[in-house]
Parts: sequence; C-alpha cells; structure tokens
Amino acid sequence: MDRLLERPEIDHVKPLEVNEPMSSSANLPSLFSSSWRRLGSLRLTLFLFFILTIGCVVGTLFPQGVGQRELLSQFSPRIVRWILALQLHDLYHSPWFQALLGLLSINLIVCTIQRFPKTVALLQHREEFLDPRKLSKFSLSRSFTVCGDLARVRQHAERVVRDAVGSPRHLHAPQDSFALLAESGRWTRYMVYVVHVSVLIIFFGALLGSLYGFKGMMNVVEGETNNRVSLFREHKQVVLPFQVRCDDFDVSFYDTGAPKEFRSDLAILEDGREVLHRSIRVNDPLTYKGVTFYQASYGAILKTAKVQFTDKEGGTSFAMDLSFRAPVPFGDTGRLVELVDFAEDFNGFGKAVAIVTYKEGEQPKGSWILVDRPHFHGNRVAGYAVQVLDLNQAHYTGLQVKRDPGVTIVITGFILLLIGLVTTFYTQHRKIYVWAQASNPGTTVILAARTTKKSLAFEKEFQHLCERVRALDATARKES
Amino acid sequence: MNSSQILAYTTFAYLATSFLYLAGVTFRSPKALRAASWTALAAVIINVAGILLRWKESYDLGYGHAPLSNLYESLVFGAACVMGIYLVMEKKTGHRALGVVPSLLAFLAMAYASFSPDVSSRIQPLLPALKSNWLIAHVITCFLGYAAFAISFAISLVYLWQRRRHEAGHASGRLGFIPGVRELDEYNYQVILFGFLWLSVGIITGSVWANSAWGSYWSWDPKETWSLITWLIYAAVLHARVVRGWQGPRVAWLSMAGFCSVLFTYFGVNFLLSGLHSYATK
Ligand code: HEM
Repeated sequence: MDRLLERPEIDHVKPLEVNEPMSSSANLPSLFSSSWRRLGSLRLTLFLFFILTIGCVVGTLFPQGVGQRELLSQFSPRIVRWILALQLHDLYHSPWFQALLGLLSINLIVCTIQRFPKTVALLQHREEFLDPRKLSKFSLSRSFTVCGDLARVRQHAERVVRDAVGSPRHLHAPQDSFALLAESGRWTRYMVYVVHVSVLIIFFGALLGSLYGFKGMMNVVEGETNNRVSLFREHKQVVLPFQVRCDDFDVSFYDTGAPKEFRSDLAILEDGREVLHRSIRVNDPLTYKGVTFYQASYGAILKTAKVQFTDKEGGTSFAMDLSFRAPVPFGDTGRLVELVDFAEDFNGFGKAVAIVTYKEGEQPKGSWILVDRPHFHGNRVAGYAVQVLDLNQAHYTGLQVKRDPGVTIVITGFILLLIGLVTTFYTQHRKIYVWAQASNPGTTVILAARTTKKSLAFEKEFQHLCERVRALDATARKES
Repeated sequence: MNSSQILAYTTFAYLATSFLYLAGVTFRSPKALRAASWTALAAVIINVAGILLRWKESYDLGYGHAPLSNLYESLVFGAACVMGIYLVMEKKTGHRALGVVPSLLAFLAMAYASFSPDVSSRIQPLLPALKSNWLIAHVITCFLGYAAFAISFAISLVYLWQRRRHEAGHASGRLGFIPGVRELDEYNYQVILFGFLWLSVGIITGSVWANSAWGSYWSWDPKETWSLITWLIYAAVLHARVVRGWQGPRVAWLSMAGFCSVLFTYFGVNFLLSGLHSYATK
C-alpha cells in the first residue's frame, strides 16, 4: 500500500506491520486492537500461505480418501495412528485444513476492512496547493530553469502534461507562479480489492456447494430407469425427484484399441412422462433442475442365463432360464435355484456366474460356473454338472451425478479474479506535478511524479517528460 | 521430413543458442550475444514449425488434435514458450545477457522429449476426457505461466550472483552488460506478474474444464494441488514485496522455490504420484 507515498496513508499503514508492544495485558481495548491489527496483517497472510503450502504438499504424499485397513497395509500401526489423528488421509476435508482456509478468509476480510476506507479517503483527498520543497523530495523529481516567461511555460507545460497523462488541474498558487496536477488511473487502486473480494467470492461459492450440494454415482441399465444416487463421501443415497432412463449406451474405439468415445442416450421422466431426451458424452454433460449427469464409467450386468444341468448318475439333463437374483424351483428336487452373482472376468478365466441351490431356511450351496470352459470339472452344483448355454447381458452406464448451487458464484469469482489481476498488474495510478515560478531571467520549474508501479519504464517516461518541458528552452532560444 | 525430425533439429539449435549465450557472457562479446539472439529466434521458429507440422500430421492420421496432449508434446511446447517469452523480454529490455539459463532449459526440455526412452513421440489418439477446447486453453495458459517462472528462475539466479558481487565490492563497470540488481529485481517482478496471471488463467481454465468433464471444479487431484502450491508460493512473492524488508533476495529465493514447485508439478506428479493427470506419463 505504501507505493504512492502520500501523507494520509503513511500514517495509518505503517503501524499495521509493526507489532507494537502492549502497554499492559489488562488493557483490554489495546489487546483487542492489537489482535485486530494482527488479524489483518500481511505477516499473517504470509504465514498462512506457508502453512497451507505445507499442508497441500503433505496431502499429495499420503494416499487420500482411503480407509484404515488400506493404511495399515502400507504403514506401521504407530504411523497410522498419527495419520488418523491428524487426518492426513483426508487432509483437504479435515477440520484443521478448513480452519486454515477460514482463517485466510478472515485475514482477508479484516485486511480489507482496515485498508479500504483509507484508500477511499486517499482517493477523495484533493490537493489544494503544492509545496515546492516537498516536491523536490519526491524520488522522481527534477528542477530546472527555462527561459521564457511564466505564461508561455504554463501553456507549454499544460500541453506536454495533457499529452502524457491527461488534462491537468490548476491549483492555488501565488501571483508569480503556477501549480499543475495531472492524474490518471485513479480507479485502478480499487482493483486490488476486486482481486481480494473475488477470492472471498470463490471461497463462498465453494462453501455453498459443500453445504447444499451433493456428488455421487448412479448406474442405469440400458432400457431401465433409476433415481437413486450413491454419494461419494458418505454412505448415503439421494433420491432424485425425477427418474433417469438410459435408452442406449455405446463405446467406440480407435483402431489402436484405445477408447474413442462413450455415449449414453438419456431420458428424464417426471411422473413417468418423458420430459427431456438427450445423449451425453464425456465433456458434454446433461443438466436438469440443477442436477448434472456426467458420463463417468460403464459396465455390464447379467439379466438372464440359459443353464443346462446334467445329473451325473441318472444321466438326465434339463435346461432352465434363470433370471438374475430371482430364485425358482429347481426341477422336482423340492429345492430352489438362484443365479446370485456374475463376473466379467473370474480370476482370469473369463465370464462366470455364481449359482446356488437351497431349501427354505437352509444354507445355500453352490459354486462359480465358468462360462467359457463348459467342461471344467469344477462346474458343479449339488451333484449336477452345470453348463451355461447362453447369457443375456445388459450394459449399464455409470453416471456421476452432481448438484452444486455454488458453481455460478465460483465462476463469477474466477472472472472477477482475472479482471482484477489484469488491471492491478497492467494499469497504474499516476500523478504528475508541475510547479513553476518566474525567476529573472526565465522561469524555474519543478516537475515531480508518482505512481503505484514504480518502474524503470516509468522513470524513463518521466525523464522524457522533463525533456519535453525543457524543450521550450530550445525553441525559445531559437526564436531569440 | 516429419515433425519429429524437425524437432530433433530444434534441440541442436537450442544447444547452439546456449553455447553462444555462454560464450557471449564469458568472453563479454556483444557479437556472440547478437548471434545468440538470432539463433534463438531461428530455433523458436523451427520449434513452432515443428509443432504446426505435427498438428497437421495428426489430422493426416485421422486423430486430428492440437499437439498439446502428452508429455512429449507439452515439453516441445514448453521449450517454445520459454524461448519465445525470453526473446520478447530481451527485445523489451535491450539486455541480451540473461539468455544462458532459458536457452539451456529449452535445450534440456527438447533433449528430454526427443531422446528419453520414457517419452514417446508417437502421435496418439485423444482419450475421450481430453476432447475439449478447454484442453487447448488450459495447456497453453499453464505453459505461458510455467515458462515465465522459468525465466524468473534464471533472473533470480543472476540477481543473487550480482548481489553477491556488489556486496563483495566489485565495480559493476566491468560487467556492465549484465543488468544491475535494481533492474534485475524489476524484470523479475514483471516476469512473475506475467507468470502469475497466466498460471491463474491456467488453473481457472482447468477448473472450468474439470467442471464440465467430471462435474467438479476442484477435486484435490495431486496435479491440481501442486499447481495450487505453485500459485500460493508466487502469491507469497507478490505479498512479500509489499511488506518492507522482504524485497530483493528473499523474493529471488522464493521465486526459485516457486520454480522447483513448477518442476515438481510437471514431472514429479507424473512420475511419483497418480491422479487424473497421469495419462501424461505415456
Ligand atoms: C489467496 C488470496 C490472495 C490473493 C490471490 C491475493 C492477490 C493479490 C494480488 C494479485 C495483489 C497485487 C500485488 C501486486 O500488484 O504486486 C495483492 C496485493 C495485496 N494483498 Fe493480496 N491476495 C490474497 C490474500 C491477501 C490477504 C489475506 C491479505 C491480508 C492482509 C492481502 C493483502 C494484500 C495487500 C495489503 C496488498 C497490496 C495492495 C497494494 O499494493 O495496494 N492479500 N494481493
């Protein structure tokens, strides 16, 4: 803040960075004001940036979002106890990390409250007159004498300054002198607040999303409907107020075998009535009533299987159509038979179905039956050799489902952040001061400048400005 | 001639560039430095030509995508960014003596891309998740940021070296063609501002893209997290400059730490950690 070193600011800003000794610990108002000052200090900001950086680094070194069992398989129990205590296995959602982010927001808010009124006051303050002695103490300041009377110098200086930064304002000055002040980019001093507020807006949007949104997965079998979303971070389900039907799922591949595109044709049903029909792809989701569906995965499930049972002893053989997880009477044995599980690839042996038989109230007995190896000796259930004749599979599409009421706010924050960054970085508030007094012979001029971005480029520009004001000298000499 | 060949020539052009810069600085020869600048310009032009040709080749293969999708392509693009930005800075400041480190970095990136067995230069089809215009925006902006930080790293090195000479009481006259501490500090600051801006745009475009592809604008994936770490370090640099007494050397050290974080974001995360971005290892 101390870039444009002007009186009103120096007085207030400097102490913010100094930890003044407290007169007495019982002095509550001073205790309060010193913690208030610390809460808004840049030192705290740097400290928080440092701790957050360390936290982020640690979070990438430990596996995130895994359970205790997995941790125990990788680390010794003592280390696991520490990991769990510090929540290093779910660091970014841990209370201490969130508290740091909260503290950063408070730091930013307090800092803004402390500084913003001063910036406003500073920018509303208008100089009434210039003090030549002060001007010559500016780091960018030159004084010189030009020949030419005051009126001519004044006209000339006005023109030069106008070309450089804009129309100058005339300030009070005694009879034999004049004072000019030109200024540009006053508004750019507010832009750093835009940057900071946009950070707060992003945090706020993220908070809204985590409080009122959800994120989960949902599988929809081709031709079927679903409205239950299993949440990621909790063992809970959300029931959507409408149904999602998957009419078709399709994967295409490149000739290298790599997947080229995943596509699901989805329909949204309200009370059984179709209200929307669209396909989604990766990178091209569907949003309905604030809930967004993303193409995330796919897979196959078993619907029905045609299975042949051969009685080894009697030599009889019969075939049955079994539906997935629907028990049916097992021939005339008085038992039930059920298709209870399915694997796309059972331990490297290809597709397999798990079939069990049982009597009411009895432990089921059964086995995995390898589909692609019909004569495998283990394909047996309750004394029957089992062979799968036909599988009727269905594909399902895996949808990631999300509702996040904070997204628009976050994106607004992003846009503001970029606008703020560009303007704070690449615009500046600059002031050019000219003071001149008739001195016989000629006129004494003091030129001074100030900017929020002290830079070598601006220094050069200032030198150039001085040259141009002095150039009157050359023209005057030529004329005489 | 195919793009891999052109890009292999680029590698040697960058090597020649760094030799010339090094010669110019060691023998204080303005002539060598001028030659270095022109070689650098030629190298960047060949580099860009190689990238454009590769783009066309991907269309000929039927995969048609901007050459920014894997480690090889991003290294090649990164080299062009570092040297391109450096040349713009050289033109603006009029100082040619800072080119040693940037051209060396460009050479190393190209050499690693061209000759390392870990990096495949084959043109591969795009995974479904990468088919998005956001990919192009995201990669380009991130790399502008990274390249600027690479240059800031170079300036910081020279800055610390110059400062030590100053403190040791050397006259700056003999090495007058290397900018003084104050100028270096200012260039460093300008380059960091540029880098910070583009890194911010990079993180934001990545975030918006993730939101449209996966439904989450931030998921603490290691690569995301490391880019945030880099961003935090440079945010610290910007704020450190506002606190009195934190300018100069501390900013230079912080900026060098920031570049290490860039390198880790780029290489470390691909090879050591796994996550959404690990496709880039192939
Ligand atoms: C993630 C959070 C933050 C971001 C992205 C951010 C960003 C920025 C940027 C880009 C600048 C301009 C720097 C320059 O022009 O060189 C700046 C300046 C500044 N920031 Fe922050 N900032 C953050 C947090 C904070 C916090 C928590 C404080 C609280 C003290 C703070 C205090 C300041 C001050 C005092 C300035 C100088 C303003 C001036 O030069 O007029 N910032 N910040």
